[in-house]
Amino acid sequence: MGNVVQSEARGAVRFSSVEVCGNMAGLELLSDQGYRLDGRKATELRKVQARMGVFAQADGSAYLEQGNTKALAVVYGPHEMRGSRSRTRHDQAVINCQYSMATFSTAERKRRPHGDRKSTEMSLHLKQTFEAAVMTQLYPRSQIDIYVKILQSDGGNYSVCVNAATLAVIDAGIPMRDYVCACTVGFVDETPLADLCYAEESGGVSSLALALLPRGGQIALLQMDARLHQDHLETLIEAAMTACKGVSKVLDEVVRQHLQESSVLSGE
Amino acid sequence: MAADMRLPSIRKAVSLLDSAFDRKDLVVPGDVITSDTGFMRGHGTYVDEEKLTASVAGEVQRVDKLICVRPLKTRFNGEVGDVIVGRITEVQQKRWKVETNSRLDSVLLLSAVNLPGGELRRRSAEDELTMREYLQEGDLISAEVQSVFSDGALSLHTRSLKYGKLGQGVLVQLSPSLIKRQKTHFHNLPCGASIILGNNGFVWLYPTPGQQDEEAGGFYTSLEPVSLADREVISRLRNCLLALAAHKVLLYDTSVLYCYESSVQHQVKDILKPEVMEEIVMLTQQKLLEQEG
Amino acid sequence: MATVQVSEAEKVYILHGIRDDLRVDGRGCEDYRHMEIETDVVSNTDGSAKVTLGHTAVLVGIKAEIGKPRPMVPKEGYLEFFVDCSANATPEFEGRGGEELGTELSNTLYKVFNNKKSVDLRSLCISAGEHCWVLYVDVLLLQCDGNLYDAISIAIKAALFNTKIPRVHISSDDEGGKEIELSDDPYDCMRLNVENVPCIVTLCKVGHRYVVDATLQEKACSVASLIISVTHKGTVTCMRKVGGGSLDPESVYEMTEAGKRVGKTLHAPLMKLLQEEESLGTKRQKVGFLG
Repeated sequence: MGNVVQSEARGAVRFSSVEVCGNMAGLELLSDQGYRLDGRKATELRKVQARMGVFAQADGSAYLEQGNTKALAVVYGPHEMRGSRSRTRHDQAVINCQYSMATFSTAERKRRPHGDRKSTEMSLHLKQTFEAAVMTQLYPRSQIDIYVKILQSDGGNYSVCVNAATLAVIDAGIPMRDYVCACTVGFVDETPLADLCYAEESGGVSSLALALLPRGGQIALLQMDARLHQDHLETLIEAAMTACKGVSKVLDEVVRQHLQESSVLSGE
Repeated sequence: MAADMRLPSIRKAVSLLDSAFDRKDLVVPGDVITSDTGFMRGHGTYVDEEKLTASVAGEVQRVDKLICVRPLKTRFNGEVGDVIVGRITEVQQKRWKVETNSRLDSVLLLSAVNLPGGELRRRSAEDELTMREYLQEGDLISAEVQSVFSDGALSLHTRSLKYGKLGQGVLVQLSPSLIKRQKTHFHNLPCGASIILGNNGFVWLYPTPGQQDEEAGGFYTSLEPVSLADREVISRLRNCLLALAAHKVLLYDTSVLYCYESSVQHQVKDILKPEVMEEIVMLTQQKLLEQEG
Repeated sequence: MATVQVSEAEKVYILHGIRDDLRVDGRGCEDYRHMEIETDVVSNTDGSAKVTLGHTAVLVGIKAEIGKPRPMVPKEGYLEFFVDCSANATPEFEGRGGEELGTELSNTLYKVFNNKKSVDLRSLCISAGEHCWVLYVDVLLLQCDGNLYDAISIAIKAALFNTKIPRVHISSDDEGGKEIELSDDPYDCMRLNVENVPCIVTLCKVGHRYVVDATLQEKACSVASLIISVTHKGTVTCMRKVGGGSLDPESVYEMTEAGKRVGKTLHAPLMKLLQEEESLGTKRQKVGFLG
């Protein structure tokens, strides 16, 4: 259901050249003792902190930080279709996503927050991911807006966006089959690394982004931009799924905590 | 002339009820509620491999064999008979479109309103042309849900004297799940103002009308200035509603009134400061508990 | 711009309330809503601040980069402004929907802040005519609930206060060329003097009176507004009329006086707050969006 498998080989050439640079700078992505640049073990996730219901005006909102990558997700809807009615679907809701990055989010200042090719692609991926998870058939003729903003970028932007947006959709009370959790994994020295940070992403690791509906084990999005031997693919996907399940545990805690804190006090 | 600036602080939930924590009836999307096939699937659930599973995060409610999950926050899911407060967004041929915080705009048909000149009046082509004179874009109305279309859009009616165009007052937009279902959603509060607690989360505060006369079918609104005393009461009620909503207290006439009483020692504009909100919500909860004994 | 619909009767109610100096939320005409300010919220900027005013929320990040001074003023650095009206704030801003408002806001901010009376631009100069610091002030609009100008200006002042620019050492090499070396020590940095940085006060004319910190509903009732930037001494540094309606000269004069009065009182509590936050140092519990 809505699974999209994309693998592109165009990163392959760049990949090798970056690897050389990485080695020249003396960066060792995985030490002999099995530690990564930021001191994590190979399968260790970064620290995740999140909060739901950040803003009052939106139907749903959430803030999530995974290590130093920070994202804000806001959901409006389901509501009447805006703009052109031609996009209206009579059997399901239309999901509309916009991914953007704050101009100050990256080390080098960005000129435009959105509208470039990369963020348009990212918006599309988010849309596909959530079409697989949200029960859109319950809301014919409506529209659900999911807007995600990266406030600070340190690798795994797509994954952090998906995780933040999941919380925001839950906050908006929109039915979903399951959480959608995403994680970026890389492959170095025959070892899969979970939840890549920027230094690792740019250090020439072949990375794979995967979004998972953890309970059923369904993959909502899979993307691989670099070259990898086919034999390793299964290990890598396995590692990504494990990492996603790890993320889903954390999200689960956040949602349950939020539920308990803000369930309606009826005074009964 | 004052600017109240401060550093943000981590907000904590105010609750007198320890039972609010460790509740077992709270579920998150993907949680299996029951694998017993004898139950019926309600809102917020779906069936996955014969197991009844939650699709939203919220509290499980069982009515007989029907299982629903009520999310903390959601758009308005209207049912026939619900009282709503809404805003006209579009005037079309023979009908108005109304924003009611639902997932689709609601519809108010020209044939579902009482036009001036008595209930039995025939609707003529002329009425279609003068629809904007009765209700125009931006106008607020109170109405009742007459039916629900197959796509979930609501059809409204105002065929009762208590419904119709709203005049001077203040609209407060809250989450529909905070409104308690009651016999009546219209209250003349003893503190000197009236309130319509719309099921859709839109709450209308207005000065209590002097006499119930409305012969104009509810399309006439007075533009006479409201007295300062009434204004203060309405503003205080508005801020109290926001304070209660911020701390997720269920809204009905008693809780609103208790909150109003708890707030009187503070100035109206101070009610929305976090610490004052906490204090008065705490007092309100205490009163509510005492009243129940 | 984010707008709300208000019915005629509601307008009358709001109008009369302002006439009686009792607004819908209980405030007087010159009262601000509750405001929360926090600095140093985005760690990969040189200075940042988050301000919430009612439901309005803005985030400002400042990045310092080395650039070339403008030919007219070789001994000064400069500021660049960009306002991102993101779709997060309201779906109306999706795609290019927020661009017009963003440009309007950033042009005004440029006029208000980028002059040497407001910010000591000379201190941003590294070597005259060759290198200077350029401060990229990026404003991100997260929620819109009226009174954007005031919230943004306060956030900018707070972010400028928070900005830490690394010290530079200029050394000459053998051929007479200059080499710029940035200090590695994060504590070896330059701070800006924000004493003269103005705050913007927006006055909305509603009926025959005017209000500060108008909500969206009040804005919908107003014909036109005047934005005034005021320093801590009460000096007006910039003024412009915004909105579709027109104002008569008397009310412009009256509003300027009121703006001066209100604007002057904004600075003291803001500076006190910023210094208090600074003095907490590392003991401060960062709230950010997790509060």
